[in-house]
Amino acid sequence: MATPRGEWTDESEAVKGPSLIVVLAIAVIAIAGAVGTILVRLASDHSGPDPGLQASLHAWLILPYVLCGLFAWHRKPESRFGPLMITAGFVTLLSSISAANSNLVATVGMAFDLVPFAVFMHVFLAFPTGGLRSRGERLLVGATYAFAFLNVIGLMLGGFDPGNAFVVIDAPELAADLLKIQLTAVSVLFLVGFVVMVTRHGVAGRPLPTPVRVLVSFFSLAFVLGAVLLLSLALEIPLDAFLTIQRTMFVVVGAAPFVFLLAILDARLARSAVGDLLVELRSEPAPSDLREPLARALRDPTVSVAYWLPQYDTWADHDGRPVTLPPPGDARSVTLVDSDGGHLAALVHDPSLDDEPQLLEAVGAAAGIAIENERLQVELKAKLQELAGSRERLIEAGQHERKRLERNLHDGAQQRLVALSLELGMYATKLADDPDAQSQIRAAREEIATSLEELRDVARGLHPAVLTGHGLGVALKSLAAGSAVPVKLNVAIENRLDESIEVAAYYVVSESLANIGKHAEAKTATIDVTREGDELVVEVVDDGVGGADSERGSGLRGLADRVEALGGRLRVWTPSGGGTRVRAQMPCG
Amino acid sequence: MRVALAEDSVLLRDGLARLLKDEGFDVVAQCEDATELMRKLPAHAVDVVILDIRLPPTHTDEGLRAALEIRERYPGTAVLVLSQYVELGLAMELLSDSAEGTGYLLKDRISEVSEFVDAVRRVASGGSAIDPQIVSTLLSLQRTDDPLDELTPREREVLELMASGKSNHGIAESLVISVGAVEKYVSSIFGKLGLRSTGTESRRVLAVLLFLNG
Repeated sequence: MATPRGEWTDESEAVKGPSLIVVLAIAVIAIAGAVGTILVRLASDHSGPDPGLQASLHAWLILPYVLCGLFAWHRKPESRFGPLMITAGFVTLLSSISAANSNLVATVGMAFDLVPFAVFMHVFLAFPTGGLRSRGERLLVGATYAFAFLNVIGLMLGGFDPGNAFVVIDAPELAADLLKIQLTAVSVLFLVGFVVMVTRHGVAGRPLPTPVRVLVSFFSLAFVLGAVLLLSLALEIPLDAFLTIQRTMFVVVGAAPFVFLLAILDARLARSAVGDLLVELRSEPAPSDLREPLARALRDPTVSVAYWLPQYDTWADHDGRPVTLPPPGDARSVTLVDSDGGHLAALVHDPSLDDEPQLLEAVGAAAGIAIENERLQVELKAKLQELAGSRERLIEAGQHERKRLERNLHDGAQQRLVALSLELGMYATKLADDPDAQSQIRAAREEIATSLEELRDVARGLHPAVLTGHGLGVALKSLAAGSAVPVKLNVAIENRLDESIEVAAYYVVSESLANIGKHAEAKTATIDVTREGDELVVEVVDDGVGGADSERGSGLRGLADRVEALGGRLRVWTPSGGGTRVRAQMPCG
Repeated sequence: MRVALAEDSVLLRDGLARLLKDEGFDVVAQCEDATELMRKLPAHAVDVVILDIRLPPTHTDEGLRAALEIRERYPGTAVLVLSQYVELGLAMELLSDSAEGTGYLLKDRISEVSEFVDAVRRVASGGSAIDPQIVSTLLSLQRTDDPLDELTPREREVLELMASGKSNHGIAESLVISVGAVEKYVSSIFGKLGLRSTGTESRRVLAVLLFLNG
């Protein structure tokens, strides 16, 4: 049900694990190699003190890495972490053959002498995904490999053993200087690696389970040990001390694979989390937002869920707002949850979860029905939002049209009538001696005055022009002045607001005052326009008879529509005999 | 008397210019918008600017802003604002601190030629012209414990004319009574309303309007 987007979207392309034969072959080779290295060390003519202990320590490094690596590869074929661990084991094997009596074999071993340091750093930093997380980390690991392989040049200069198989020129002092540089450099790189390791688990991303985290932190100490070991080589400290540090480091580094294994096996622990998820999803009432339970089940607090809305051809969040998924290769990974009909949702999560496709799949399957339900809810929310948006646009378009009509009236008919009346007035002065003409002109001008008066009423009904030009305070003053009952007006806003808000506030007041004049039998009314936080609050209170009737209600219904379309609320309290209070609240940014 | 006009309706602007010329005014500038008006003003020592409250480009408050700016920058220039609607709030804003050389009339009033010309002259010479509709709105404001109730009908008439900017002489003419009688009414009104009588007539206008506005 759940498929990570990108490389693994198609079942047939799923990465298959190693076959049993491959696993067995590698295991056999590793065991034989470990036994071989012990034998080589014991038979060596140049292996130093305690050859048996040294050989066992090498085997202790080789076997856990290869065997745990095989297990990890089998469990998570798509992760490079298993193969990387196997590589670490075999590189250690290669470095340990420097004890061989054969000159060529020993030289190859010497060439690999420092490479295990680089591989171990690689393994530690690549845990648990198998990949390095940043360019910086890749640079760090790459530089460590480069310095480690400089051994080949050291050998060509006659370093390590003047008789080694790679010698080209004889410059052992130069080779010794080169080695010191290498050791110091790798030591410094190890310390950098330690800092990276310790700091990154503290920051964002998906936390590992606590015991694993503690152990990983502990093993990051191996970096410090490695750095000290390399420095001590460069500083040529007494052999005893060197060997103590070396053995301690071997023990610590060799134990690391078991911790890694624990973390990988932890995916099994996750199954119980899936069980918890199922229980939680069945509980009553069902969780209102799936994100929390999914985050718990996936142990990724950063998880977010996007739902697919085919109707809108978009992804949307829990509230139905459109979201875009992070593109492939982003710092966040995406796993699609599909049904037969297509996408249901997308889980946006930490990339480390890409290594646990089974967990993602199990969670996706467990939450499938809940996700489908929530997707429907989200679709509903998106529709409601669309509806609210279109209602707002409708009212806005209506308002725009009314405003345009008012402008047309003002600039057209009204101006013409005024000009006409002016012409008539001028004729009247010229015809001062003709009383008949005078009275006819006066009659005509009175007609025009009446027309202008009617046009003014029409225009004002269409759109209160004074509002656009001069704001709510000025416009409400005229309304209050024209009221049938004495009005106390308090406008406590200084700035202009969105025109749609101002118009709605204006109509709330004008409709309320009209109602008061017609029905309320009030002695006084009070208008308060204030700002409470992000809301404009308009309140019209009278001391009349109260008790709403249907006629008043219908006028207020239109007002409520207008206010609600702007995301606001209109409420009316009108107890019988207790006056009427109309309160509109509208968000005003 | 030098007049500047700002009105975007050509019909009305031409009519006004002709009317004013016929009445002996010197129309020195006819402008389409406030910007043109402000540009042309400095060149002429204009006695009175007559302007529409709604002017291009937005037809919102350009006229009012220009009027306030002229009052501020050219104290010797009177301003008469014309409007299709008269709004109490705008009148109070325009007059804010002085009614001197200020007028606010409904456009309809233009056609009462002699009344209009009288208003232009009054404003130009430092008086006031407040539209009767503003005055009647103010008078009709509902008050609890209304001191206006104590005025006699005659006193009320005098008050209305006084509020619209008429001088004692003008009031006397309108009501066909003597100037002395008007003066008596005025001091009686001031006494009843508890106002102190002030010097100039335009200050008297503002005092009365502010009182009525409550």
